[in-house]
This record gives sequence, C-alpha cells and structure tokens, in this order.
Amino acid sequence: MGEMSMTARGSRPDLLASGIFIGLGGLVLWSTSDLPVGSAAMMGPGFMPLMIGSLIIVLGLVVGLVGMFKQVEAIDRVKLRPLLILLAAVGGFALAAELAGFVIAAAGLIIFGSMADKEWRVREVLISSTVLTLFGLLVFIYGLDVQMPVGPF
Amino acid sequence: MDMFDALYLGFSEAMSPTNLAFCLIGALLGTLIGVLPGIGPTATVAILLPITYFLPPLAALIMLAGIFYGAQYGGSTTAILVNLPGEASAVVTALDGHAMAKQGRAGAALATAALASFFAGTVATVALAVAGPLLSKFALSFGPAEYVALTVFGLLAATILASGSVIKAVGMVCIGLLLGMVGIDVSSGSTRLTFGSTDLYDGIDFVVIAVGLFGIAEIAVNLESGEAKTSLAGKITRLWPTREDFRKAWPATLRGTALGTFLGVLPGGGATLSAFSAYSLEKKMSKTPEKFGTGLVEGVAAPEAANNAGAQSSFIPLLTLGIPSNSIMAMMLGAMMIHGITPGPSVITNQPALFWGLIASMWIGNVMLLVINLPLIGLWVRLLRVPYRLLFPAILLFCCVGVYSVNNRGFDVALVIIFGLLGYLFRKAKCEPGPLLLGFVLGPLLETNLRRALLISQGDPAVLIERPISAVLFAASAILLVMMVLPAFRKKREEAFQDEEV
Repeated sequence: MGEMSMTARGSRPDLLASGIFIGLGGLVLWSTSDLPVGSAAMMGPGFMPLMIGSLIIVLGLVVGLVGMFKQVEAIDRVKLRPLLILLAAVGGFALAAELAGFVIAAAGLIIFGSMADKEWRVREVLISSTVLTLFGLLVFIYGLDVQMPVGPF
Repeated sequence: MDMFDALYLGFSEAMSPTNLAFCLIGALLGTLIGVLPGIGPTATVAILLPITYFLPPLAALIMLAGIFYGAQYGGSTTAILVNLPGEASAVVTALDGHAMAKQGRAGAALATAALASFFAGTVATVALAVAGPLLSKFALSFGPAEYVALTVFGLLAATILASGSVIKAVGMVCIGLLLGMVGIDVSSGSTRLTFGSTDLYDGIDFVVIAVGLFGIAEIAVNLESGEAKTSLAGKITRLWPTREDFRKAWPATLRGTALGTFLGVLPGGGATLSAFSAYSLEKKMSKTPEKFGTGLVEGVAAPEAANNAGAQSSFIPLLTLGIPSNSIMAMMLGAMMIHGITPGPSVITNQPALFWGLIASMWIGNVMLLVINLPLIGLWVRLLRVPYRLLFPAILLFCCVGVYSVNNRGFDVALVIIFGLLGYLFRKAKCEPGPLLLGFVLGPLLETNLRRALLISQGDPAVLIERPISAVLFAASAILLVMMVLPAFRKKREEAFQDEEV
C-alpha cells in the first residue's frame, strides 16, 4: 500500500471500504442462508438479512468500481504496533477479569496497554498502574459495586 | 398539563439534591474527558455511558446529558488552546479561537465560547419545551407505515447531512442494521448471525459497539499519528472579553443560536452541521470575510452558539419521535432502552416527570458548565499538559471496566476487540462510524414496523405510500436521493464542509 507509480489510479480507502462491505455482506448471506425467507406479507427471519446483505454487497461493488477510476489516493500511514498491543491488552483483560480478578486484570491492562506508546517508561508505568488499579478498585468494585472478583481466590 | 406546571414539575425533579449532584458529576467528568485531545464528545459519551447504568433512569439521563454538554465544552477548550478539535463540531471553533489564543486572548475566546454556548443552550431548551409536546401529540397518530417512512427518511437524511461520502455512509447504516439483527429474532424465535455462540443470543450490547468503534479505535489512531502531543498556545491573562468583543459577539451569537436550533432538529443535523453552517453564515454577513481565521471573536461566538443549540435541539426528534438524529442521540436512545424507557411520543404523557426533568436538567447543566468551567479553566489547562502516554491507559481502563459491567462478563470485553479492529479499518477506509450506530439502534424498529405494515396490507408495499404522512416522508427521501445525484447540489455540500480540511 506504500508507494504507487505515477500512472496508478484508484482511491485505496474506497477499495478498502468496498472490500469491507462485500466481505461483511457475503458473511451475512452465508450465515443466514438456512433461515426461511418467507414472503413480504409473512416475513421470515431470513428476509431482512437477505435484503440488507444483498444491498451492502451492491453498495460495496459501486464504491469499488467508482473508487477504481478516481484519482489515486493512498491510505493514511498504518502502524500496526499500537493497534495490536491495544487489542491484545483488551483481550487479556477480558480473560483475566473472570479468572484472575480485578487487580491482576486492571494492572495487566495498564502495564501492557501502556506499551502501545513507544515512549513508555518503566517507572511511570509502574506508578500509574498502581494508582489506577487502586482507584479502579475503590470506585468501580467497592463504590459502584461492579460484579467482578477482586483477586484470583 | 400547562407548560408552566410541567416546567415546575421538571425543575422540582431536576433540583433534587441527588439529581443536581449527578448533573454536576456528569458535567465535570464530561469536561474532564472531553478536554483530552483527540477524544470528542461521541467517544466521551461512549466511554462514560456504562457508569450511568447504576443509577435510576432520570438520574442516569441527567448525568448523561451533563456528560454530553461537558464533553462538548471540553472539546471547545482543547480546540481553542491547542488547536486539536476532538470532533468535527469544534473544527471551526479552532480556526478563530486558536488564532485568538496565539494573540494571548485565549481567556476572552474561552469566555466567549462559554457565554455563547450558555445563551444558545437556554434558547434551545425553551424550544424543546415548546416543540416537544406539540410534536408528540402529532406523532401519536403514527402507525407502522409512518414509522417505516420516518426511519428511512431519518437514516437517509443523516447520511447526506453528515460529512464524507454518502454511499459509504449508506453502507455503514446497512452494517449497523445487520449488527442490530444479531441474536434471537423476536417474531420467529430462530437465531440469526450468532455463529453458533450462545453468548450472542441476546444480541450485541450497544456499549460494546460504541466503545470499540469510538473509544479503542480512536486511541489507536491517536497513538499512531502522534497527533495527541500537545503544544499550548500562549498564557491566559485576561479572562473577560472586552466591551468591543461583546458588541461584535452578540449578533453572531443570536444568528448562531437561531441557525443551530433549527438545524439540530433535522436528522443528521446536530452540533457539527450547525457549527459549520453558522461559521459560513458569519463569513457571508461580515464586511471583512477575509479576516476570518485570524482571531475574530464572531468566528468563535457563532459556531459555539450554533453547536450547543444544535446539540440541545437534536433531543427534540429523539424525545418526541424516538428517532435519534446523530450518533450521540443514538447513544442516549441506547441508554434509555437499558433503563426500560422506549423514547417516543408516549414518554411525555406516560412519564412526564422524566421528560420535563430532563429538559429542566439541560438548562441546569448549562448553568453548571458556566459556573464550574470559567473558574476551572486553569485546571483544564494543567490537564492538557499531562502527556497522552499517561492518559490513554486510564481511558482504556474506563472502557474495559465499563463494558464488563454491562452484563458482568468478559465475553463483551472480548467482543470489543472485533469492533476496535473494525473501527480502525473504517477510519483507514474513510468511512464515518456515526451512521453505523444510527442503523444499529434503529434497525429493530425498522424491521418490526416494516413487518407489521406489510402484514396488515398482506404484502402490498403500496401501504407505505398510501397514508399521507408516510407518503410525504418517502417523497422527501426520494428528493434527497435525487439531489445527491445532481452535480450542483453535490458541489454545495462539499463547500459546506470545506473548512474541515483545514
């Protein structure tokens, strides 16, 4: 997605949007293909998914076709590191929340999540994770009574 | 009920000590998060939404409204001081506001923004109190066909009045509609789009989508662009605007308020469209249009008045018709549903205390913002000096605990990963995520009413255009579609949003 030759055409963001639309539409049509569609008067559960799923595929095709002939436009620069670390940190919290309790989940989320910014510093992260975990424990678990175990036991 | 009795009821509800306290907490929290660079009102409301679940319905709505205004105001503060508008609605404020800040007149700019917003908020609250009951009475006669037409019109108009590509916005609405279908279909009992997961039988929770698309994705984009690194402009010396400022700002505020109140009611309207339109109107009215962008006080007063008026009056279609006009209103609708309130024409008669209490609290929220924000500006400025690398982990924690607390399960937090990734892809594909949220909350309404209407007519789609109101709405939808194809109109629309590129 980086460089493009002078003769290249097409809006890359549009092509990406087209891909997302067609992909999601296809996924919907495939996963609802066994549901009864029914008729307009007696709509089955598959009626709306079929309609909207098809519509979004058509929209995806139009966006893609029009985008192909637009002036060349690159996608904004992509850095996967922050995104992947953030998502992994969230995933870790999801697992740890029920298994290991709030303290471990929150501290893990903040320590690991902080690394999404390249400028993270060990001392700062240790301090902020302690402060935020304590704050969260007091406000969310004891204050707002969120139903989450505090520790693993 | 007489309007004054109604307002009295509203104020007595909203003025109860606990509700006042939640209004204050909401306004403070909203400003606190809203001031953070790169986090706009939509993301702020998404992040703080779960906190309100622990409250009784009215207190929750009052706090949410407080959060919303606080976020809006906090966003303007950031736009003026560091030229980093959190959301599109503050983009035009940044043009002249930041220029004023660079000349050392940041205090005057902030005070003008606060005063203009307060005035506009007061006017729009009165408009809501007057228009609400009238519109509700009218909407009570709506049947399924009218609701189908209204929903289609609302969704379509929202895509056209929003910035960005219309066809992509329609696609985003469709994705939202599809996400709304996940779970057990109420009329047949069969599961749809659950991919074999029993955890999805109840559908996807609104908060999961909002936090993923707006919260997580926004942090990811901020981190990779490094844009969130702040540089403060100048020192704040004099807070109060000069007499000359007042003289210039008054007419601009009046025009901005009028325009914003009107545009906020339209589907897709609300704060952003109002702010852009008010700014271009001021430019047209001015004798020195070329000076805009160099720190004119009109350039701050008009869009700030307009975006606050628009934000307020966009509650009108939500509270009277049950149709949210933008993504923040979609979130308010989601919050109301969680408390068992279905917004619509019957709210005002069935739950007058809630309706009028909310209206009264809007005005109180505006007063509070004025009272807490002007003295606290110094504190917000200090907050802006905290580096982003220390702030975003705290936001992350808010997001995760918030999502977890909705159903007390880790599964919802795991779902956020998918929506965070989707939100990131949408940003790279230049797709606005707002319309998706609208489609998501309106999808079930659309499907149920379409089924009912066609069941009554035995499958004849003509029923949708046989009743006068729905016929008019469908005609309006068709006109909107045709207008979008016309090159002249498209050019106008692009012009309206041109300042956004600056």
